[in-house]
Amino acid sequence: MLKKRIISRLIGLLIVFALLIVGPYSLTIIKQVQKMNSQEESLSRPGAHDGNPAHREFTSRLIEQMVPFTFYILILAFLLSVFFLRNMLISLTNLRKGTREMKEGNLDVQLDVLTDDELGDVTRAFNDMAVALKNKTLELEQKNRYVTTMLDPLWVVDQEDRIIDINPAFTRLFGHDREDVMGVSVYDLLDEKNALIMRKQRAEERRNGIASIYELNVLSKSGIAVPVLVSGAPMFSGDQIVAQIGILKDFREQRSLREELQNSLDYIETIMNSIPDEMIVIDRSYKIVMANRIATGNAELDLTGQLCHQALHNSPEPCWSQGYECPTHAVFADGKSHGIIHQHTAGNGSIQHYEILASPVKDASGAVRHVIELLRNVTERVEDEAEIVQKNKELTVLNSISGILSRSLKPNEIFTKVLEKMSELLSMDGGGIFFLDEETKEMVCQYHSGITDDYARTISRIRLGEDLPGRVAVTGQIISTSDISRDHRVGWSIIKHSGIRGYCCVPVKGKERIIGVLSLFSVNPHVFTPGEESILSAVGEMTGMALENIRLYEKLSLMYEYQQKRWEEEHRHLLTMSAKLGAEIEIEDIMNQVLGLLRQIFRADFAWMLVNDPSGNLVLRSSTRTGDKEGVTMYAADVTSLERYALSRRQMVPVSDIRAGSRFDISPDVSGYHAAIAVPMFIGEKPVGVFTLYHMIQKDFKEEELHFLEIMANMISVAYERSEYYRRAGREKELADTIVQSVADGIMTVDRQLKVIAVNSAFEKLTGLGRDRAVGVQVCDNFRFSDKNIDFRIRLGESLEEAAQGRAASRTSVLTTRVGSRTPVTITSSPILGNNGTISGIVNLIRDVSREIELDRMKTELVRSVSHEFRTPLSAIVGMTEMLLQGDVEDSRAKKYLEIIRNEGLRLAKMVTELLRLARIDSGKETLQFRQIDIEALLKDIVNTLAAPVDRHYATIRYAMDGASYMLGDEGNLKQVMMNLIDNALTFSDKGCMIQVDIKRTGNMIDIAVTDNGWGIPEEDIPHLSERFFRGKHGYRVKGTGLGLALCKEIVKMHDGTMWVQSTLGKGTTVSISIPHREVT
Amino acid sequence: MSKVIVVDDEPFILMMIEDKLKTARIDVVTVRESRHALERIRNERPDLIILDWMMPGLSGIDLCRLIKADPDLRDIPIFMLTAKGQDTDEEQGLQCGVSRYITKPFSPKSLLEMVQETVGNEQL
Repeated sequence: MLKKRIISRLIGLLIVFALLIVGPYSLTIIKQVQKMNSQEESLSRPGAHDGNPAHREFTSRLIEQMVPFTFYILILAFLLSVFFLRNMLISLTNLRKGTREMKEGNLDVQLDVLTDDELGDVTRAFNDMAVALKNKTLELEQKNRYVTTMLDPLWVVDQEDRIIDINPAFTRLFGHDREDVMGVSVYDLLDEKNALIMRKQRAEERRNGIASIYELNVLSKSGIAVPVLVSGAPMFSGDQIVAQIGILKDFREQRSLREELQNSLDYIETIMNSIPDEMIVIDRSYKIVMANRIATGNAELDLTGQLCHQALHNSPEPCWSQGYECPTHAVFADGKSHGIIHQHTAGNGSIQHYEILASPVKDASGAVRHVIELLRNVTERVEDEAEIVQKNKELTVLNSISGILSRSLKPNEIFTKVLEKMSELLSMDGGGIFFLDEETKEMVCQYHSGITDDYARTISRIRLGEDLPGRVAVTGQIISTSDISRDHRVGWSIIKHSGIRGYCCVPVKGKERIIGVLSLFSVNPHVFTPGEESILSAVGEMTGMALENIRLYEKLSLMYEYQQKRWEEEHRHLLTMSAKLGAEIEIEDIMNQVLGLLRQIFRADFAWMLVNDPSGNLVLRSSTRTGDKEGVTMYAADVTSLERYALSRRQMVPVSDIRAGSRFDISPDVSGYHAAIAVPMFIGEKPVGVFTLYHMIQKDFKEEELHFLEIMANMISVAYERSEYYRRAGREKELADTIVQSVADGIMTVDRQLKVIAVNSAFEKLTGLGRDRAVGVQVCDNFRFSDKNIDFRIRLGESLEEAAQGRAASRTSVLTTRVGSRTPVTITSSPILGNNGTISGIVNLIRDVSREIELDRMKTELVRSVSHEFRTPLSAIVGMTEMLLQGDVEDSRAKKYLEIIRNEGLRLAKMVTELLRLARIDSGKETLQFRQIDIEALLKDIVNTLAAPVDRHYATIRYAMDGASYMLGDEGNLKQVMMNLIDNALTFSDKGCMIQVDIKRTGNMIDIAVTDNGWGIPEEDIPHLSERFFRGKHGYRVKGTGLGLALCKEIVKMHDGTMWVQSTLGKGTTVSISIPHREVT
Repeated sequence: MSKVIVVDDEPFILMMIEDKLKTARIDVVTVRESRHALERIRNERPDLIILDWMMPGLSGIDLCRLIKADPDLRDIPIFMLTAKGQDTDEEQGLQCGVSRYITKPFSPKSLLEMVQETVGNEQL
């Protein structure tokens, strides 16, 4: 159309222009031609114009020229037309270009409107269209962007439920590419079950036209069912639903959250039910809203719905309202967690201790809605702790009492302290100790506390068997009452209505009898527990032992004083005698003087000395009576006199009354006496004679007198023999000082110039100095051989100096011997006093006291060890208890602490038991009950008893018996020994060890050997094994009391047996015991 | 943080002291075998040494003498913590340069106080 128009317009313009140009031009030409023609005709004939050739030629030439001219004119006209039509052409070109660009996607095309004609309208319309198209495209792009960037997958399905579109999120979630699922039925992406759900939903949608939301599992490309929440919406075209769009919300997270929630609910329930502690949830009205199985089980009823105080305390009111600490109340009050130990009353009425951790359950506003309580029954622990604290206190008191008892020998101190400590331990207000006065048969109160002296006087004497102390002293049984004033068992007592309520009285037992009672009282009622009673009994026993010890000590010190006095006296007499005997004077004088001295010492009324004459008669040699003739035959050889009898028996014969009975013939010279002692004298085998002391009264001779007389007899024999020798061989010098030589202590006699004149063999042995070197040397020069003897020489000097002034002196020092060993010694120097009181020399007695010092050291060491060994376990008990009480220890560690406290407490208790046992043995209180023992039965019993520890060590225990089936012994004690040995074998061996017990009879002995293949004992430890508290190399690895073997050794010793140990380090140990076999009588 | 070395052959004593001192944020090094103690002391350079007396092998008092003989270590204060409770023992300990002589059983609380008094209480 437009083209037609343009062409027509072009043609029109062309014609116009052609006409405009050609017309005038042609007219001009035509006019010119006509003019020319007219001119020509005027020149020629008229009418001859068309017949003129020149004219025709010109006309044709003109026409010929006119044609190209016209052509050019036409071109010019065309060009002019085109020029005037250019805008239209540009517009057209632009339109074409614009259309092409638009086709290529450029929607920003805007064309210039060049003409105001239809073409201009067209261009305007084009421009409007381009804008509208652009806007639409942007809108579409936006929509597409929404769809593609949508996080949730979507599908579009047609009415046949075939997928016609999906978005990239769909591909992302399920892995299906767009191309793969286009046209595919949605049911192909679902499993059977989900397909059913979907069909149902779709049917409903179609029926109701309502899109619903439902859950579906869509299979991903890899076949995994992905949970999604589908929300559908229909797509309309007009009124027609053409497709259904489904948005598939990824439901995996929600699903897992939901599952988690379910799981966690199950989990909470499982946890609540599986924790071993009770757990309850309480609301603000103190009602239990939830309780786990344990809580329900323990309460034996369904707790849910119950009031907590009703259910747990049997109380109608909340316990906080009664002033008790209530964790629930506390949590509701401040919203924080609270942990306390609480008392609950169980269904059977027993008090249970609960450790309660109460925590708040808060709502969104922070208000406490519920309280969760975790209840742990710690009754056992609380009781254990209380028991440990109590035991700890008891042990400390027992330890301090035993300390007092072992340290002090002052009865006052002991008894007041015992009363004080026991009152403190048992929270008593006072007490008293009564001792039995054997003569008056009365209980005398000697120590008291907590009562006035006046009141003490009114109860100071109680008859044996009367009132409570009297009854306890008779029966030996403990009496205790929680309230004496109401106790109907106590009919009458002086203290019944004195204000005293709690009262306890225990016997104080000595070695074999009751020596008193210990009583304690309180002004408030006090129930004495069996534990308290047993402690009191133990203290009674310990106190009794201590008292016996004091008495023994007092008796010993008296005896010691007496002995000391006797010894000094004896020593003085001996020195006097030896001085007399040693002097070279007439034997008769000596004899007379010696007899005189003897008579004096023994307060005898008469003494004589008879000697054998060659014919066997006993003749008088010397007598204390003046006028008796020496050489007179007193008894013929065949007469059975006291003296003859003593000589024939070769021993002293003491007779308390020689006239009683008629055993001996009595010479008229001595017929007036009663008591007599005949002392025979021998030199080697050779009888020398006999001296006899006679008393006017009847008399029993004491041991020490006999001993002294024996020494005298020896001295006199020697002197007599010597005098006889002198008598026969003149004055030949020979010192045969038998007595001095026979003394076990070193004796060194010096003269007035302090030159050594004699030493005995004991001196040689003690000092290592030979007699030849020592005699004749200045006394102190004798000990110059060692620089270490300076102190010894100073002490010896001091002692000699004092003795030189006439009195005996004593010093202690350490002597270094010739061989270099150091021996602790006491030096006793006694002056030899002559008749006129002059000092003729000094006798120095040097005694080796290393044994005494060693014994003393051992005793001290034992006391120190006891205190040391007690302190270590006490450290655990005291220190760890303190830390537990102060809350320094975490719960997980607290158990470990309690275990250590328990173990150390047990070790301490075992130590106390074993020490008491040893103390009983030491004090001779332990007596054996000899019975016939069936050895095999005993072994079986032991193996059974030890089965548990043996199993724990995976050990094998075997026993063999050879020729021994029965033996006599104390079964309990021997069992203890063997158990200790086997226990040691287990303790000091690796797991899986082998223990062999062999019992066999060898001659008159029963040999028991316990062999193990354990760690063995280092050689240097073996000699110390039975020392008390000795813990060898392995003591570092394993804990014990260090008393077991000591106890074994003592028990074996009491059976008159021996015990020894053989061991190789790394190989094993054999402990052997050999006990004499006793026949059953 | 202060550092204390404790030498004792009894494991539970070590445990107790360690637990107690740790409550006051004191660093504790425990040594059970006294023969290794000197080397540890040289390496650790503690502010205080707590020694048991009766130990197998090298006794606490001998160890104390060794420490006091070392010019680098002699200024470190030493506590003697021992079951030997006799006056003569204490005298001997103090003569060797022990700053405190504590007899077992002891109160961990008082021990901590003594330690803090000696090494300074860093919590304050």
